[in-house]
Amino acid sequence: MARSSTTSDVFNAIAETHRREILDTLIAGEKAVGAIVNDLSMSQPQVSKHLRVLSEVGLVRCRAEGRRRLYRLEPARLQPFHDWLAKYEQAWNERLDRMDDYLKELQQQGEPQ
Amino acid sequence: MTPNRHGSAVIEFPNDLEIVTTREFDAPIELVFDVLTKPEHVSKWFAPFACEVTECSIDLRVGGNYHIVFVTEDGAECSFRGTYSEVEPPTRTVATWLFEGWPDADAVESVDLHETDRVTKLTMKLAFRDKAGRDHMTRSDGQEDSFNKMEDYLRSLLEQKETVSG
Repeated sequence: MARSSTTSDVFNAIAETHRREILDTLIAGEKAVGAIVNDLSMSQPQVSKHLRVLSEVGLVRCRAEGRRRLYRLEPARLQPFHDWLAKYEQAWNERLDRMDDYLKELQQQGEPQ
Repeated sequence: MTPNRHGSAVIEFPNDLEIVTTREFDAPIELVFDVLTKPEHVSKWFAPFACEVTECSIDLRVGGNYHIVFVTEDGAECSFRGTYSEVEPPTRTVATWLFEGWPDADAVESVDLHETDRVTKLTMKLAFRDKAGRDHMTRSDGQEDSFNKMEDYLRSLLEQKETVSG
């Protein structure tokens, strides 16, 4: 189990356009490699290569069904992005909200009701 | 009463090097410009809650410098400085942006204001000179590399997260 995968691996994994396309197509649900190839006009070796990277960082999970290998999205691995974004957004919102409050204060002083 | 706009900032990552934040304020453009550029105003909102602004000097003219320092609760000093390259009251300023903690992460910050019916829209764009500089942003939060360009994508994935079994 690659439990020690760092979050930065995930960032790198989804930095690549084709890998993002693969993840996009998997949002619809579990798919075989062939179906992904059909969806994305990429070659099978290309798709397989990207799927390997995505599997390594845990963004997709693979299972065998007969001779087919089915891939599905592993949404929990996206949490680091969500956390980072939430933190950044919160910091900026707090600062701009302070500015907003201060602007209101100034305007109330300037225009007594 | 005007509606409360708290929490309404929109943050976008249009490409590898830029972070763009937009936010509307119920105030005329001249006042928003002053609050963004006059030290007596900036010191009132710039620092996070419970931090103290210890220096705030702004020489608002092309070639003029600004320097803003605040001290966090645990005593850490955060120092930001830069030099203005464009000053067009009340609509636009462009200045270099240097955070002392990341000496090699220089960026250019442009601030644009646009007023419609007493609502002023603020657009702040932080453009790093190179990816190494931009990457400080991610490293500082325990991440590294390559998140900016995928921000939209991320949102779409996260929105759908609930509908995907996991």
